[in-house]
Amino acid sequence: MPADPHSRRPAVGEGPLTRVALIGLAILFLAAFLALPLAAVFSQALAKGVGAFIKGLTDPDALQAVKLTLMVAVIAVPLNLVFGVAASWAIAKFQFRGKSLLLALIDLPFSVSPVISGLVYVLLFGLHGTFGPWLRDHGVQIIFAVPGVVLATVFVTFPFVARELIPLMQEQGVEDEEAAIVLGASGWQTFRLVTLPNIRWGLLYGVLLCNARAMGEFGAVSVVSGHIRGKTNTMPLHVEILYNEYNFVAAFAVASLLALLALVTLAAKAALEWRFADQIAAAKR
Amino acid sequence: MAIEIRNVEKTFGAFTALGGVSLDVRSGELLALLGPSGSGKTTLLRIIAGLDHADAGEVSFDGQDTRDRAARDRQVGFVFQHYALFRHMTVFDNVAFGLRVKRKAERPAEMDIRRRVGQLLDMVQLSHLATRYPSQLSGGQRQRVALARALAIEPKVLLLDEPFGALDAKVRKDLRKWLRHLHDDMNITSIFVTHDQEEALELADRVVVMNHGQIIQVGTPTEVYDTPADSFVFDFLGGVNRLNGIVDKGVARLDGHPVRVDGEVGPEGPALIYVRPHQVELGVAPADGVPEGKWSARVSMVHAAGPVARVELDLSGRALEAQLSRDRLSDLALQVGSWCTVDFRHARVFPARA
Repeated sequence: MPADPHSRRPAVGEGPLTRVALIGLAILFLAAFLALPLAAVFSQALAKGVGAFIKGLTDPDALQAVKLTLMVAVIAVPLNLVFGVAASWAIAKFQFRGKSLLLALIDLPFSVSPVISGLVYVLLFGLHGTFGPWLRDHGVQIIFAVPGVVLATVFVTFPFVARELIPLMQEQGVEDEEAAIVLGASGWQTFRLVTLPNIRWGLLYGVLLCNARAMGEFGAVSVVSGHIRGKTNTMPLHVEILYNEYNFVAAFAVASLLALLALVTLAAKAALEWRFADQIAAAKR
Repeated sequence: MAIEIRNVEKTFGAFTALGGVSLDVRSGELLALLGPSGSGKTTLLRIIAGLDHADAGEVSFDGQDTRDRAARDRQVGFVFQHYALFRHMTVFDNVAFGLRVKRKAERPAEMDIRRRVGQLLDMVQLSHLATRYPSQLSGGQRQRVALARALAIEPKVLLLDEPFGALDAKVRKDLRKWLRHLHDDMNITSIFVTHDQEEALELADRVVVMNHGQIIQVGTPTEVYDTPADSFVFDFLGGVNRLNGIVDKGVARLDGHPVRVDGEVGPEGPALIYVRPHQVELGVAPADGVPEGKWSARVSMVHAAGPVARVELDLSGRALEAQLSRDRLSDLALQVGSWCTVDFRHARVFPARA
């Protein structure tokens, strides 16, 4: 009996028209909201030629902003990596009182506006803040200085790693760890040889997200930095200053560098996923 | 190694997992912990392994209290229900794990590790799969890797949590036999947890029947099957017919006819008569009524696949199941709707719970 072509379509499949419409809609949306702005950033940056673009980037203040941004990321990301692993380990593998409170606290930076996060540090460490006089007497400046920028960034980015790992570790349970311990492994050996390999892809993803946010954070950092050019300006802050000064080419040049960093991060993630596809598939089974 | 368990208690919140359990495990035996889910059998196994801690009571290995011995120092082999193989390691690395994490002074040289793992993989017949990852193996193969991994540290006790639970019926039967041989060859004390009575009765030297955090009965498979301690054990160890009868002047009666009873008849009053399906005797109903002391029943279903036939009967409104050989079935020429006589070769009587 000749098969009716329609009957061969999978039960959950859609007609060709629906498929084209759905895919088209997704592409259109992506183009309008992601690709177009990205293209605009680069075209604006190069609007007055490569020379102006390079000049905008090699300006000493811009270079300083790049340096500060990278430094903040270098401090904030490892800190949150350690914290995130510790917190998700505690939450996923142990039962204890106040667990839901800890979970809620981890989410706090997500639920609070970044501006408020910044203000909290000003209230704590600012000249008229709780610890302000004591810090001044001891010659330590946090607000309107680099330590403040680092603190605010750490605060804002700390949920990323933990949020990525908690569901993963909860799903994996504790059987693997128990197996390792019964076989005679110490706590550290269990963590290094069993837990860490089980979570490494989730961890990597969390770190990449955390890094992207650490480099791009604006609100909280803006409150505590004081916008001192060449000193406490990170790249996003520097872009804003340049833009407000109608120096569009330089503003977009720095912005494009920031966008480029994000793209590199994404590309690195895609490359790793492609390179280790087998292991990722194995880890998920 | 002998294991003594004394008055072990364990609660999880409001739930009592173990309510004062004592048990002696003999050196070299293969012991089954049998019970329904929630009976505390897995908790007991985990306490022996040191993965859980008893709230009260003690567990000792060859007379030595284990309270201060952490799980990693107990030298027990534990096979998890879902195997818990390390998914990012090959079969070889999984088996080698217990040897490689040993403290430096005790750790064998890499060459010795390779030799030992090779032997273990030979033993579980998986040498050809040494470089595979767990996700590339079948359930039965994973089970054997888990066993080899547990045995690598030369444990004195092997603990298995529902070792065949996740396998299909055919593989399960083969692995069962294989595990029995392995246990005999290794000269090891083994304890396995199961909710499958057939598995416990077939495999174990002794069976420990548990329910609601208590040990109900300990004995050889024959003992627990033939002389169950109470109605729960009788019920749990195999198919059973429960019939509402009565004990009157020391005689158990069903529909007025006396029932032959093994052991105690129990207190006067309403009683439950327990009969295994293979202890139900069927006979051809004579044309002129039913012989004295027998019951008659109507056949409501006949299952005649395999060596043993099952017949479902209607005994004055009660469902009754009988098992008989295929030959006997054809002798009786039973069909749905036909009548036959019923008698019980052995029955036990337990007081009906009010």
